Amino acid sequence: MTDTQSPAKAVASQSSGRSALQHLLKGERPYMLYVAFAIMLIVFSLASPWFLSIDNFLNIGRQTTLVSIIAVGMTFVIISRQIDLSVASTLALSGMSASLAMAFVANNWVVGAVAGLGTGALIGLLNGVLTTRLEIPSFLVTLGTLSGARGLALMVTNTKPVIITNEYYFAIFGEGSVLGIPAPILWTLGVTIAGILLLHYSVYGRRVYAAGGNPTAALYSGVHIKQVTTLAFVLTGTLAGLASLILSARSHAARPDVVQGMELDVIASVILGGCSLFGGRGFVLGTLLGSLIIGTLNNGLVLLGVSSSLQLVIKGAIIVAAVAFTRR
Amino acid sequence: MVEQGSIALISAPPLLRVEGVRKRFGGVNALRGVSLEILSGEVHALLGENGAGKSTLIKILSGVHVHDGGSIEIEGKPVSFSSPAQSRDAGVAVVYQDLSLVESLSVADNLLLGREPKTRLGFLRKRQLVAQAEAFLKSQNIPLDARAMVGSLPFAYRQMTEIAKALMGDVRLLILDEPTSALTDDEEKILFEAIREVAARGVGVIYVTHRLNEVFRISNRVTVFRDGQNAGTFVTAQSTMRQLVGAIVGPDHAVLKTDGTASGQGMAQPAGSIESPVLELKGVGNDRLDRASLQLRAGEIHGLAGLIGSGRTEILQTIFGLRPIQSGEAKLDGGSLKGTDPAAAIGLGIALVPEDRHVQGLVLEHSIERNLTLPRLPYFSRLGWLQRRPAGEHANAAMRRLAVKAPSASTLVKNLSGGNQQKVVFGKWNEPRPRVLLLDEPTVGVDVGAREEIYGVIRAAAAAGSGVLLVSSDLSELLQLCDRISIVVDGRITRTIARPEFGGAEDLHHLIQLSQPSEEHAA
Repeated sequence: MTDTQSPAKAVASQSSGRSALQHLLKGERPYMLYVAFAIMLIVFSLASPWFLSIDNFLNIGRQTTLVSIIAVGMTFVIISRQIDLSVASTLALSGMSASLAMAFVANNWVVGAVAGLGTGALIGLLNGVLTTRLEIPSFLVTLGTLSGARGLALMVTNTKPVIITNEYYFAIFGEGSVLGIPAPILWTLGVTIAGILLLHYSVYGRRVYAAGGNPTAALYSGVHIKQVTTLAFVLTGTLAGLASLILSARSHAARPDVVQGMELDVIASVILGGCSLFGGRGFVLGTLLGSLIIGTLNNGLVLLGVSSSLQLVIKGAIIVAAVAFTRR
Repeated sequence: MVEQGSIALISAPPLLRVEGVRKRFGGVNALRGVSLEILSGEVHALLGENGAGKSTLIKILSGVHVHDGGSIEIEGKPVSFSSPAQSRDAGVAVVYQDLSLVESLSVADNLLLGREPKTRLGFLRKRQLVAQAEAFLKSQNIPLDARAMVGSLPFAYRQMTEIAKALMGDVRLLILDEPTSALTDDEEKILFEAIREVAARGVGVIYVTHRLNEVFRISNRVTVFRDGQNAGTFVTAQSTMRQLVGAIVGPDHAVLKTDGTASGQGMAQPAGSIESPVLELKGVGNDRLDRASLQLRAGEIHGLAGLIGSGRTEILQTIFGLRPIQSGEAKLDGGSLKGTDPAAAIGLGIALVPEDRHVQGLVLEHSIERNLTLPRLPYFSRLGWLQRRPAGEHANAAMRRLAVKAPSASTLVKNLSGGNQQKVVFGKWNEPRPRVLLLDEPTVGVDVGAREEIYGVIRAAAAAGSGVLLVSSDLSELLQLCDRISIVVDGRITRTIARPEFGGAEDLHHLIQLSQPSEEHAA
């Protein structure tokens, strides 16, 4: 009723002058991320003489490629108030699909790429359609495809890896470089930029935010929430497909048992990067930073000789702390 | 400030005495000195329009707000509650409209939630829990099965569970906030029986409602608030519905209204537009509508009056494509509306300002600009790219036209006041002008100043040629704005009256109350 509303007090504190950079960083507390990242760099530089080198940074970039690329898609999914647990399995199945296509259809990198990306997109479409049309929570849908896609990947070759022999494929997705920057890092940059454009500069991006921020209000404003959400899943699946190409090009083979549990690193990156698990908030650059923080943490802890078991514990603690910060 | 229609009281000290209580929210005077006396054992109805101050007083009594001035006494002792716990300890219990029960638990579990009987090891004593609950329900004469799952109960029994829960402990004053808004007639009878039982045990009951005929059925006395002040206290048995309506809407109301529209553009619709309505419903039916028929003309403000739950909102939702049209026909500019897709409705020029702006109207966590442009994104799209500059200009223009008070378009909507938030919801449909503007309770939760501004916006929309369909429970609002008013009962339109036939708010009130199928015995 009317009499409980507080009065017309507009908030006057917010300054209107916003730089273009701030405009990109729409998260609630993006500065926290920079501070955390900077502190981490300083600590590791002081603690390990090998940490502060170009080679090591390229190393971190390469190690985080897969997570970073998929996390860009996951940013869209989480902003639209959904979750995708199936990305690691999708990656595995897409890799098998790409390598088998090149082995049996035509040994051409385009065939492999289309097969890999297409498989990822299809699984994404399945996730999206089941979530929006049957109205099953995406947590359960993607828990199902996590298991199903992995099972299929293991089944097609009876758990054996498939060797890849196409040199173009290796160069484009794995071993090539431009101006000394390795291909995987270029792919990461490309996907991040595309993600920023799509989320922050396209009409679709606006609709993703609205669908997650308040689905009812979005519906009442004429947003096709089901389409918007489904597309976010397709995007994530396709990027998992791209990640599979990069991984298989690096190892010259596709294996069905790769990257198990990687979905947790992906989700952690997105949340660490300032996305709200409750939807409606987040930004792509934050996600990249979140992924780099996790990658740098892994790298630094290895250089410091911390045991891999303790690494897991430290990583877990940091992820929970980050979520505690981003929650309100 | 002093009660106008006060009556001789029984000499015993009242259970609750509220004396000249005042409360301000920033610039808004919610309560300007209200008084109220509740005797133990009486059911005392509290009436008033939205914004009259009923909820504010209840929130003060329940410890949510603290009053700025005046005094509150319970059994002669002055009190001031700074927390709901304090109010509870003083024996005040409130049952709100939205229930706070755990549906997956039984009645007994809910009644003793948080104070379940336990063994020393912390195990639940199930049998004792049920026995305790049953004993309590029996002592209160409440006909509830303690083992029944709350989720499987009809609404009246859930309501009753809530009341029983409120009565656990030493309760002397029970406040019911519009308890019947979702009840059928039979359920209402059951609930009223339970309320009488409670009162018979010496508890004082404050019964807040919008429905006049309920007042006559359940209450001993009735107090009316208007604009944060007392507008009279009556012994129910000695008063008439006309008297109460008069107190609710106020003496100088009818005059004020006619002034409002005489100066407005309202009546000036030429007869020419009558031939071709912009929107026409012909016997539209679905799960909530029963052969609803309606003609909306361009430039007309057409009111929908009726009780909560009568189907007014559902008429708007059906036109907007949120509900299917299962029978009959809806036509916009002569073309058939298919329904089922708000995006298509928006594309055809239909706009909806929904009832609950927080849930349906706005993304609170997002900026004004994002909210304003959301339904118009196709206009700012070139090959899928968002045209930021035109979008920003669109937002700024809407903010200027509606006088939204905010530092900039990037201010988050959640930081705005109710009135400014509502202006943002209106602003979503500012440009291009909709053919049909559907408004569902557009001024609820809006302070007086912003309300006038919103009236201006509504009139301007009609003057620019939009057909406006206005749902409101505030009768003076309907009388002030509308060219025609249709009465909605049980999902159908029973009657449409034009401005020359309007009486005062009292007559409209009668039309609504008396057209209810089951109310004959009320007046």
